[in-house]
Amino acid sequence: MLVLSRKSEQSLMLGSDITVTVLAIDGDRVKLGIQAPRTIPVLRQELFQQIQAANAAASASAGELRRIAAALHGRTTDPATTD
Amino acid sequence: MLPSAASTAESDGTTIELSSHSLVFPDGLVGCQAWKNFVLLTDDKEDLPVAYLQSLDEPHIRLLVTNPLLVENSYAAKLTEDDRASIELEPTDQSVLYCTLTVDAQGNITANLLGPLVVNPRTRRGRQLVLTESSYSTRHPVAQLQEA
Repeated sequence: MLVLSRKSEQSLMLGSDITVTVLAIDGDRVKLGIQAPRTIPVLRQELFQQIQAANAAASASAGELRRIAAALHGRTTDPATTD
Repeated sequence: MLPSAASTAESDGTTIELSSHSLVFPDGLVGCQAWKNFVLLTDDKEDLPVAYLQSLDEPHIRLLVTNPLLVENSYAAKLTEDDRASIELEPTDQSVLYCTLTVDAQGNITANLLGPLVVNPRTRRGRQLVLTESSYSTRHPVAQLQEA
């Protein structure tokens, strides 16, 4: 792992189009500003790991389609769409 | 590739006839970037509210999915411009949302409402969203699996 020291308001570059800036340091909390192209997803690592774990867990339920459907029985709605 | 019709064996020994619709998630799923090519397996006869999203890249990966409105009747997900571009969603297209379901060893069914899947049926492209501005969880309680 590359280790760099930065002071408040100093930045580092990841490649030529991602900038990470230390905005403030308060005790054990560091406030970061991230400038990246919109196509680069920026997520807290905990969130990324939660979704990754949920994806892995959802693949372990084969063979129970009818029983799971029965547990959802009686619920009807229109297909979900987005705003 | 799987044939356009398939069937799945249930744990009680019965089978369900499924029809398959191929889907591509160009960026893969979150934390699972290699999972790009899928077929959505839906049953033809029983109109079950759940379906499988079968990975073609990892044959042992078969995600259980449902309509998130069945889980949470006020469920909403907003797409960014980048999300729309990724699935080539035109203003005339109607996207479809899915959420994955997990069944734990105790039979508790939970839904991942934080990271839903959005699909454009016209282009057959999909993307996993992360609703960072929401208070949804990856383990939203849904129901208890009934005894067989």
